[in-house]
Amino acid sequence: MVIYLIYIGVAIGLFAFAAVFALFAVYYERKLSAFIQDRIGPNETGKYGTLQTIADIVKLIQKEMINPTAVDKWLYALAPAVIFIAVYMGFAAMPWAPGLVPSKTNIGLYYIFAIISIETLGILMAGWGSNNKYSILGAMRSAAQIISYEIPAGFALISAVLICGSLDLQEISMQQGVLVKEQVKFLGIWDVTGMGGILSWNIFRAPHLIIAFVIYFIASLAESNRAPFDIPEAESELVAGFHTEYTGMRFGLVFLAEYSMMFLVSMIGVILFLGAWNTPLPNIGSIHLADWTTGTAWGIFWIFVKTLLLVTVQIWIRWTLPRLRVDQLMDLCWKVLTPLAFICMVVSAIWRVWVMN
Amino acid sequence: MTAANILFDIMSFIALASALYVAASKNLVRSIFMFFVTLFALAGLYVLALADFVAVTQIVVYVGGILVLILFAFMLSGRETLDVLQQPERKVWKVSNLPALLIVGLLFVVLINVILKTDADHLGWVSDSIKSKNYIANSGDMTANIGINLMTRYLLPFEVISILLMMALVGAAHLSRKEQAV
Repeated sequence: MVIYLIYIGVAIGLFAFAAVFALFAVYYERKLSAFIQDRIGPNETGKYGTLQTIADIVKLIQKEMINPTAVDKWLYALAPAVIFIAVYMGFAAMPWAPGLVPSKTNIGLYYIFAIISIETLGILMAGWGSNNKYSILGAMRSAAQIISYEIPAGFALISAVLICGSLDLQEISMQQGVLVKEQVKFLGIWDVTGMGGILSWNIFRAPHLIIAFVIYFIASLAESNRAPFDIPEAESELVAGFHTEYTGMRFGLVFLAEYSMMFLVSMIGVILFLGAWNTPLPNIGSIHLADWTTGTAWGIFWIFVKTLLLVTVQIWIRWTLPRLRVDQLMDLCWKVLTPLAFICMVVSAIWRVWVMN
Repeated sequence: MTAANILFDIMSFIALASALYVAASKNLVRSIFMFFVTLFALAGLYVLALADFVAVTQIVVYVGGILVLILFAFMLSGRETLDVLQQPERKVWKVSNLPALLIVGLLFVVLINVILKTDADHLGWVSDSIKSKNYIANSGDMTANIGINLMTRYLLPFEVISILLMMALVGAAHLSRKEQAV
């Protein structure tokens, strides 16, 4: 019986984490955007405006949930839940530290990739259910964009998987640090087994993975509908895209899903390319920096910091770059990213066979 | 009743009930979204059968790909077309339906016959493979097993399928290309 209680406890814990992270990510984004635009940002509620997003969520919870007359009731009501649950289920396979992972499956990465694709369905549900032309246009744009960008993202991930030879996220993490059992080489020439640190991260194990990482990062921006790929909710054309008709907590769920998705895709990028929960500090001679900074608490710390850095870059890009047009967006995906990602995959295969053996 | 049995019952009930709804509902869009529930329940059944890779593939291919494609086709077609589709004639017993009814009836008889004839608990090939130890236990390396088999024993079928898919891709690209002005 205790084991079931643990399962439920972990699930609740992950949900609480997603919710709290979304709250503070919104505050962080508002402060950072204010800094970029030379404003002050939220500063009235609490010290430096820290309580602003909590006040916002309290207001959202109290709001009436309005059902427009012409909506398809079931689809309209269920869509935000489907969108959020799709992202939330992805967290189940994420490793946090050595030996600390909610669900240790040997197809972890593939599972996450599948679960995220369900989000598209939720967005289409919201668009169709709302019975509103802006909603449906936003939903169609979003679905087209997510499906297209899944291809370069998938190929970039596969090129990392080829180097690691496993779909198990914990195994992939393990290979990028001091805990590795096989031989790890920096750029394929310098043996860094036992040194760990930044030298054994995937992007340095094979240099073309840096390109793969950039491709994945761009595609992940598109998959979480962030600027410069936010045409699904382009305010100047589509009001608010697929969530135009939503109010109250239903809108809150869509919002929660967006920020959880940002964290999730950044975390996948960190796990596959940037050393997962491994420390960036290598062992140098008798100074065992890597051994001292590896452990459960350190693991959580490192992966959280690295993921947060990627989220920061996402926010930074959103407030810096203008939005892409639809044709530019598709051109970038099909004519630039997909061929590049494909080349990365082929190079990975060659690297695995000729350099790593 | 173990936990696996209870899960099996719940998921097969969901699969059957949602499939019935898909077939019976007059609202086509809801049918499509309900089909998603059917596919998801099927994926759950695959997991119970230790085929976790197949389960995830089911979600990637059917939910992420085919279902979204169906929805796209649906949303791109006009409302008038859909209205015609959504109010079909409800009369089933007609002379023009006779061939269809005949085929369906015969198929039903065959299916019932198969279900009654098979003794699912004592299948010959199952007990044979248990005797010769030719089965896979829940060891957790299913994916590696699939990968190795695809690249060695089943390489030819694998390549043939990939050529077929390639042909489909080229054909689709050709069809969607604009006619060149002569």
